Order: sequence, then structure tokens, then C-alpha cells
Amino acid sequence: MSFRPLLFARTDRQEKMIGLNRAAAAFVMVAAAAMTTGAAAQSADPTDAGKAIFKRANCVGCHKWHGNGGGGYGGDALSLRKTELTREQIIETVGCGRPGTGMPFFTRGAYDTVKCYEMTRQDVGGRMPPEANTFLRPKDIEAVADYVISHIKGKGEPNYGECIAFFGEGSRVCDVYKAQQSTDTNTATSGQSK
Amino acid sequence: MKDFTRHRLSLRAALLATVAAVATIAALPGKADEVTPERLLNADKEPGNWLLHHKDFSATRFSNLSEINKGNVKDLKVAWTMQLGGVEGGGIWTHGGLEGTPIVENGMMYVTDGWGSVYKIDTHGGKGTLLWKMDPKTDHDWAGAVACCGVDNRGVALWGNLVISHTLDGRLIATDKETGQVAWQRQVADPDKGEVVTGAPLIVKNMAITGVAGAEYGIRGWIAATDLTTQKEVWRTYTIPGKDQPGHETWKDDQNAAASGGGSTWVTGSYDPASNTIVWGVGNPGPDWDNEYRPGDNLYTDSSLGLDADTGKIKWHYQHTPNDPYDYDSVAENVLVDVPGPNGSTEKLALEADRNGFAYAVDRTNGKFVWGLPFVKKVTWTKGLDPETGKPAEYDPSKQVQLYNAAVTPSRQNKVTDICPGNMGGKNWPPTAYNPELKLWYIPVIESCNRITVEEETPAKLKKREFWTGGGPSQPVRITGSVTAIDVTSGKIAGKFETPFPNLGGILATPDLVFSGQPSGEVMALDGKTLAKLWEFNTGGGVNAPPITFSVDGKQYVAILVGLGGAWDKWFIDATPELKKMQPGSMLYVFSL
Ligand code: HEC
Repeated sequence: MSFRPLLFARTDRQEKMIGLNRAAAAFVMVAAAAMTTGAAAQSADPTDAGKAIFKRANCVGCHKWHGNGGGGYGGDALSLRKTELTREQIIETVGCGRPGTGMPFFTRGAYDTVKCYEMTRQDVGGRMPPEANTFLRPKDIEAVADYVISHIKGKGEPNYGECIAFFGEGSRVCDVYKAQQSTDTNTATSGQSK
Repeated sequence: MKDFTRHRLSLRAALLATVAAVATIAALPGKADEVTPERLLNADKEPGNWLLHHKDFSATRFSNLSEINKGNVKDLKVAWTMQLGGVEGGGIWTHGGLEGTPIVENGMMYVTDGWGSVYKIDTHGGKGTLLWKMDPKTDHDWAGAVACCGVDNRGVALWGNLVISHTLDGRLIATDKETGQVAWQRQVADPDKGEVVTGAPLIVKNMAITGVAGAEYGIRGWIAATDLTTQKEVWRTYTIPGKDQPGHETWKDDQNAAASGGGSTWVTGSYDPASNTIVWGVGNPGPDWDNEYRPGDNLYTDSSLGLDADTGKIKWHYQHTPNDPYDYDSVAENVLVDVPGPNGSTEKLALEADRNGFAYAVDRTNGKFVWGLPFVKKVTWTKGLDPETGKPAEYDPSKQVQLYNAAVTPSRQNKVTDICPGNMGGKNWPPTAYNPELKLWYIPVIESCNRITVEEETPAKLKKREFWTGGGPSQPVRITGSVTAIDVTSGKIAGKFETPFPNLGGILATPDLVFSGQPSGEVMALDGKTLAKLWEFNTGGGVNAPPITFSVDGKQYVAILVGLGGAWDKWFIDATPELKKMQPGSMLYVFSL
């Protein structure tokens, strides 16, 4: 992974935690990819609820609509397009945040009534992640994880189609990708028209 | 859009319109209370009004109203308040904030909220009555995704019978002063390129001058003039010179860094009618913290510019931080003051308090350095300014990449480092004020250090509408603030009033008082000479806008917008943990005795 968070050095403990997660990831990724291809063809997208949460819970504020996160004044929120986390790990990360980083926790009572990474508020101490502006119920967290898995994880550069799917037809946010798309078409040598 | 215009008003307008119609006024449609270029030039002759963004073309923010003074300011009370809108979020922002300067003309006040809605408020009779609201329906997603530093709009300007304003999504809008109907609008900036507009327009003659934001998104900055009679662009001066222009040689790379070189202009400038010169500040180069990407001095970033008002031609420049590796922009307003010089001469100065922690006086006829001094408590990036040139002592023109105090300077070799002042400054956009009687210049200070982490940029990483910063700041150190006074005759610090939080609002000066605020909610009045605190009121909302004063029905008022937004609560809040509890808000406060 070429992407390193700018601001938040990870502890060894987290490094291990993430390492463990990655070992399990490869297998699930194949399954997820298969699932995505199947779902894409349908018109009523079962992950629409997750998309709504992605907007409402302001994942957009840090990871952007396309999930790529990216540099800037506040440093990097990791790219969810390049994430290697599984559905379960995303659920855990959203619910518990990530200690010592800017990734907030979205579960009410995390580190208090709900244990996170086997840690209480006391254990996590000064590395307590920030509390999200909105708390999400377990079902909502699952929905947003499903949305990340099917629409963001593993995707390449954001494109016009994805942008319109997120913002709706006619959004000016997407015009730059449209321009991109047409230059891609112009420079393409295959002779096919899009 | 609702029209709350009262019968009395329309009648008065109609009557005055008849009078105006009899007199013939060139170029401008005849109308009541119309704001002519002549009135703007003589703004100080209308003491009860606040006609220009910075009060006058010299940007003094000084009012000689003195009904409220040292002796009685302790009795200042809330006269009325008004709830405004625009708190909703958009793009990467969870909410909007208020950074605007109210404009007041003959008892009518014009304010904006963060998304650019304009409110006309009748302040007669000791109360505020909303007459109309013009909602420009700013595209929240399109603009909010490329606004580096908040959902902000710093206010309107008046011209003829029109209210001139900007929107975050890059429009210049003219609204009929009486009806609140949009007369016309023009797209000046392009959010597709990462450009947004947050500043108030400056009216010079029949032109509206617009500045742009976006140096964190790889723009090439500019200042543009729109002819308000024809609605056409008169000139657009790029702050990064083109290939055949002087200054281009200060971009020494071979990857066209100039094309995305930044140089924003998002703070309203000043104007010197005697020499027909617009003085305007230019922001940081991009990428902010990877200065090895853009070897050379990177003109005209981090500079003050003197521009010919009719053509936009650059007459002079003064650069503060060549090849800036700190995000120490120079967008700040230049205050134009005349002070007695040697042998009975008059020094015509332009004063600028820079993000880099130094206050500068340059000769505004030619851009030559006169004096400079640090106005913050702690500076680590340089040992000081060269007394002759004003350049940082370590500046080496033969070097392509400046390191200044290399031990603390962010670079590809020194990737995580703490700098003082931090990248917010020093002094940010909140405006200074100048008392011409006391010859004191008051700076709203952010006393800060912060940590910079450098990320190497490559041309492949440059993408439209994505951050182009070469790293980012974090906040391991508490940040406080002050109001710091400088004696302009000596170029020395005359006093410092320290505050627990950074000054994010700016200053108003009256003959013997200074008004300011805190992001923790307090609005305060200080003694203009000693800076002792004489009065304070807690609004309960974060003060992120400058106070003004005006009079109506023969009575003096102080007005201020309250609602914490901007860059602070998203990017810098860890340096002021107590401010995390401040709620978004959108409220106008008006005080009187
Ligand atoms: C306040 C900013 C912020 C918000 C809001 C936010 N995130 Fe994050 N997120 C981060 C940061 C910063 C990281 C990187 C943490 C690190 O350095 O390990 C991150 C990491 C993640 C990761 C781990 C990626 C990986 O590969 O390790 C996931 C998954 C994630 N966020 C999902 C979400 C979702 C879903 C939401 C909305 C419900 C959300 N985030 C809201 C800042 C944010």
C-alpha cells in the first residue's frame, strides 16, 4: 500500500491489528468482487441505503464522495478505494474508529459499554479516536460497509458514471469527469465510440 | 424570495427617485440613495455609514463615531439580534459559518451568510427589520467540495442602486437594493478548476474587483475587474506570470509548476486614488509544503501587488516569503497610511501583517521595503528580516530551493517538523484596523506553532478538484491569540493584549477604543491606547467575523456577525480543544448604550 496517513502515526499494536486483518482479507476480496459484478446490473441498488449513510454520516467530509480521501489541510483520510479491509473489518473500523488517528467512532458507547479492539476508554487513553458527529446503529454501519465494499473498494480512478450515480444526473460536480471521459475517448485508438 | 418592504419605504424611494430623475447622472441609473464612485471616495465624510468592506479605500476600519467611548463602553448592551441562515453543510463541510463585514448605508444594513445569501435589514427605530433576503442558490456540492477553508462569504459592496456580492460557486451577482431581485449575474470563477470566491468585492470607479481562492487545489490565481455598467470583464491579471511575462523566470522547474502554482487573492484589497493603484495581497504557492516541486522565488505568490486600476497592470510588487515552504500566504489586506517621514516629508506606506509572523511597511508608490518586525511572540523559521531588503535573513537568491532555518523548515529531507508561526499565521484573513489619530495599527493575532508533514508531489498526482498541498498540518501544540498594536511612526510594538484563543474575527478601531472577539464567544472592547479590556459580552457563539460601527436615528451601534465556521473547526480545532463544544450558528448581534 503506497498510501500512508500523513498525520497519525500508528502504534505497533495497530500495525499488528491491521496486519492480522490483511491476512484474512484476500479470500473475502474474491467473494466481494463476485458479489459486485452481480449487483451492478440491477437497477434498484440494494446499497442505496448505505450510500445515504455515507452522505449523512459525513464520510464524504474526509474520504470525499469517491472514497479516495486524499491530502490536504487535514492530512489524509485513507483511500477506501485502495483499502484491503474486509466487510467485518470495515464494520469494526467504522464502529470503533481507529485509535491514534482522525478516523472517528460511530457506535454510541464505543470503548464504554461497547468494547473496541478489546479495549476500554481507559486502555486506549490518549489515543482515543474522535467521536463522530452522528452515531450509527449496527444496521446502518453494515449498510455503509456494504456500500463501501460494492461501490468503492477496489475501484480505480473515479469516473463520470460513478459520480452521477452518487450525486444524480446533472450535478456540476461531475463535469470534470465528463471532460476527462471525452479526452479519454478522443485519445483512444480503438476507434470505438462511447 | 420575500419582499418585506414597508409602505413608508417604497413611498420614500418613489419620491426620491423622482428627485433623482430630474438631476441627470451620467452612466448610472437615477435612484434614491445611490452609491456613486464619488461617495465611495469620500466614505469618511459619511461617519454614520460603513460604505466599504474595509470602511474606506485605505482599509483602516476606523470610525470616528465617539458616542460609545472609553468612559461609557462598560454600559454597552445588546440592542437587538437577528437569526440568519446558511448554517447547512455541503461538499466536505458539515456547516457554514459567518465571516462577513456588514455594510451600512443610511440605516440600511446588508449582510451575507456563508452560502452567499444577502440580507437587507432596516436598522431604524432601535430594532432590526428584515426587508428582503436574496438567496443565490449556491451549488453546495460543486463549491463545497473545493473550498479549502470553509463555507464563507465576507460580505457585499454597494454601487448605484445595486448590492454587489459573490458566491462560493464563483458568481458575481448584482441585486436591486430596493426589491432584492437579482438584476444580473456573471460567472467569474470556475469551481471545475478548483476556483471559489469567498471575499467581498471591491468597487473601484465603475468596476467590481474579484479575488479568487483555490491555491490548495492547483489553481493559477488572478484578480479580475468587471465593468458594472456593461457587465463585461475589463481585465484579469494572473498572479502567476505567463511564459512571456516578467517574473516567469522565478519558476525554474521543468514540469510547468507555474500552471498550478497557486497565488490566491481571496481577501479584499485597498485602493489609492491619488496614484490610481489597487493594492492587493497574493496567497501561497502550490503545492503548499513541497517547495522543491517549484524551485525559484515563485512570483507573485506571498506578495503584495500594486495594480493600475484601469488596466490591471502590475506596477510594483513586494514578496515576503520567496519559494515559501510554510503556507505563509500574503493575502492580507494592505492598509494605506501616510505618516511623517524625515525632513518634513510624508511616507506613503502600505502596511501588511503577514501569515509569516512579520508586519511590513512598504512604500506604496514603488513597493520598496521601509520597515518590518515580528508581531507574534514566537518565530522559528527565520532569525529575522534583513534591515535593508526586508527579506528573511537566510534568503539566498542564488538558491533555487530556500531552506531558511533548515532545522525547522519542512522539506523533502525534513518531512515532519514544527514551525512557528503555524500555517494559519501569524495573521490570517481577519482584518487589522488603524487609528490615524493615535497612529496605532491593531493586528488580530494567531499566536501559534504547528506541525507540518511533507508529502512529495509529482505531476501525476495533480488532479482537477483534488487537494494539491504536498503535505498537511497537524496540531500538537495549543494555539492562543492576541491583539497586538504597532506604532506606525516608529515601527515598534506598542502593546499586546493576550487572549486564550486565536483571533479569528478581526478589529474595529474608534477614536479611543478597539473592538474584537473570540471564537469562544466573547465580543470585547479594549482601551485604544493601553489595550486594557473595558467591556465584554459573551454571545455564546464563536466570533469569526469583524465588528463594525454605524449610527442611525442619531445613535451609535456596534454590529458583528457570530457563527464559527471557516477553516478552524475542521482543520485546527485540536489546537483549541475547548472550542470543540462551540455549536454552529448564524446570528447578527447589534449593541448600543
Ligand atoms: C473526520 C474524518 C473522517 C470521517 C468523518 C470518516 N473517516 Fe474514515 N478515516 C479517516 C482517517 C483519517 C482514516 C485513516 C486512519 C489511519 O490512518 O489508519 C480513516 C480510515 C478509514 C477506514 C480504514 C481504511 C483502511 O484501509 O485501513 C475505513 C474503512 C473508513 N475510514 C471508513 C469510513 C466510513 C465508512 C465513514 C463514514 C461512516 C468514515 N470513514 C468517516 C477519517 C475519517
